[in-house]
Amino acid sequence: MNRETIKFYLLLLPSLAIFLLFVFWPFAYSVYLSFFDWNMISPEKKFVGLQNYIDIIKDPISYKVLVNTFIYIGVLLLMNCIIPYIFAFVIDVVLKRFKNFYKTALFLPAVISLVVGSILFTWLLNPVSGPVAIILGWFDVTMPMWTKTDGWVIVILCLITSWKVFGYNFIVLYAAVNGVDRELIEAARLDRVPARKIFMKIVLPLSSATGIYVLIITVVQGLQYMFTPIKIITQGGPNYASSNAIYHAFHEAFVLYRTGHSAALSILTMLIFFILLLLEFKFVEKGVYYEN
Amino acid sequence: MRTRLQIGGIWHVVLILFLVLMLYPLIYALGNSFKSLSESYGTTLNVLPKLFTLENYQAFFNSLPVIRITLNTFFLGAVTTIVKLVTSFLAAYAFVYFRVKYKPALYFLLISTIFVPFTVTMIPNYLFISRLGLIDSVWGAILPQLADAIGIFLITQSMRGIPYSLIEVARLDRLPHRRIMLDIVLPLVRPAVTSTGIWFFITTWNEYVWPVLILKSTEQYTLPLALQMYISAEGGTNFTVAMAVSVVTMAIPLALYIMFQRYIIGTFASSGIK
Repeated sequence: MNRETIKFYLLLLPSLAIFLLFVFWPFAYSVYLSFFDWNMISPEKKFVGLQNYIDIIKDPISYKVLVNTFIYIGVLLLMNCIIPYIFAFVIDVVLKRFKNFYKTALFLPAVISLVVGSILFTWLLNPVSGPVAIILGWFDVTMPMWTKTDGWVIVILCLITSWKVFGYNFIVLYAAVNGVDRELIEAARLDRVPARKIFMKIVLPLSSATGIYVLIITVVQGLQYMFTPIKIITQGGPNYASSNAIYHAFHEAFVLYRTGHSAALSILTMLIFFILLLLEFKFVEKGVYYEN
Repeated sequence: MRTRLQIGGIWHVVLILFLVLMLYPLIYALGNSFKSLSESYGTTLNVLPKLFTLENYQAFFNSLPVIRITLNTFFLGAVTTIVKLVTSFLAAYAFVYFRVKYKPALYFLLISTIFVPFTVTMIPNYLFISRLGLIDSVWGAILPQLADAIGIFLITQSMRGIPYSLIEVARLDRLPHRRIMLDIVLPLVRPAVTSTGIWFFITTWNEYVWPVLILKSTEQYTLPLALQMYISAEGGTNFTVAMAVSVVTMAIPLALYIMFQRYIIGTFASSGIK
């Protein structure tokens, strides 16, 4: 090793040490734990081979959680990818005024704790005494008991997470839309191309590199962000109706003390993430435009 | 031209409505935190309290060691932010200014940890922290997050924006790396470092997932953990106190954001561009 190499690794050492101790080694250890039956306390870990994985595949709750996970992904993509994309286009291209005001205000909830968000929305959306229920009551609409209703519970929990994540995704997408060559857009406008077409045919393809990035973080980080409202408001209930892959792994480990199941579930979740990433690279990335 | 203006007008209405819905929860919390519990019944829709009272804040201070909890939150945020900035800056410098074999692979490996869900590392880290005897200690909450892939990424991005010739000239003058780092690179990337730091602080301040596993006693709690005590699926009965605690928890991040919003928005705008 020459001196440059040694210096390089010395500079990297602090980060690398933390990553080794708290990411890479734990990852390997989780893989190891997924082959054992253990309750985190007993001195003995019993080797069970692939039994934990088989248990998960056989367990009907797993399918419920898996379906929930995909519903979460769908709702989050709509609220944190598609809507902010459209807003970014409208504010940057269609509108002429108040751009900075909209940017600043839309980002604001992104700095607030999801615990705060969860508490505020639990009260705001209280089906009996909350303001939303009162206003709906004027129109004789009864609010569902959403914390106890399959389907609704996921939508509302997504709403809470989206409230926080929206601003960040919006700002990133806004920068991408803003980076699209203005002359192209102006030329299309002079040709009286409708705004919807400018978005679909020019802005969307030319900003797709960032679009893909936001798509990925919406899935990967969005599901993890969901943990907080689920844990605080429903604990995965009623009857696993609001649990997702992330929360279920936590539930297995720290409520049921089945570390093997939890570890196996986390590894499977990670595999799903990586498959999604690969699919995205394979099918979507082909049509993606990179600037350089 | 007329249709264009109308379309613009419709969108302004849509956006303003959207913003009202988005920001209403904050106003709602602030207003109700100054009402007495009895007043809040039936008047939750009124933004302003009829009788301004501090009793909810007093109730919060009387039931929990609030000063201690706030200091814990501050300590967790400050230590994590400072160390993370140093480790990220050093790593970014190494990645940008050294030519070493396997560098791209190593960079890719570190950045790809963004895609590892926290559940994968949760059990081993919990066991490790408890073996170190740091359960219920703020250090146990701090330790696993002293390096950060997103921080390395953001600072690397801004260092790549510095003209390389500047560094080359300094190298030809045999300036040591320490001087290049502190006298040339750091001043040039200071805006990115500042906003990354503010973002780290806000994120750590708001953190819930890891601290809730590690910190057990109220003496060791951070503000989001204390706030969590004021909730149940039905909402519980301490409505106005919960609003007061929410206001206390979000005050510092909001103040930081309002002070530094241009910085923060600028850095995040650039974070998605490859």
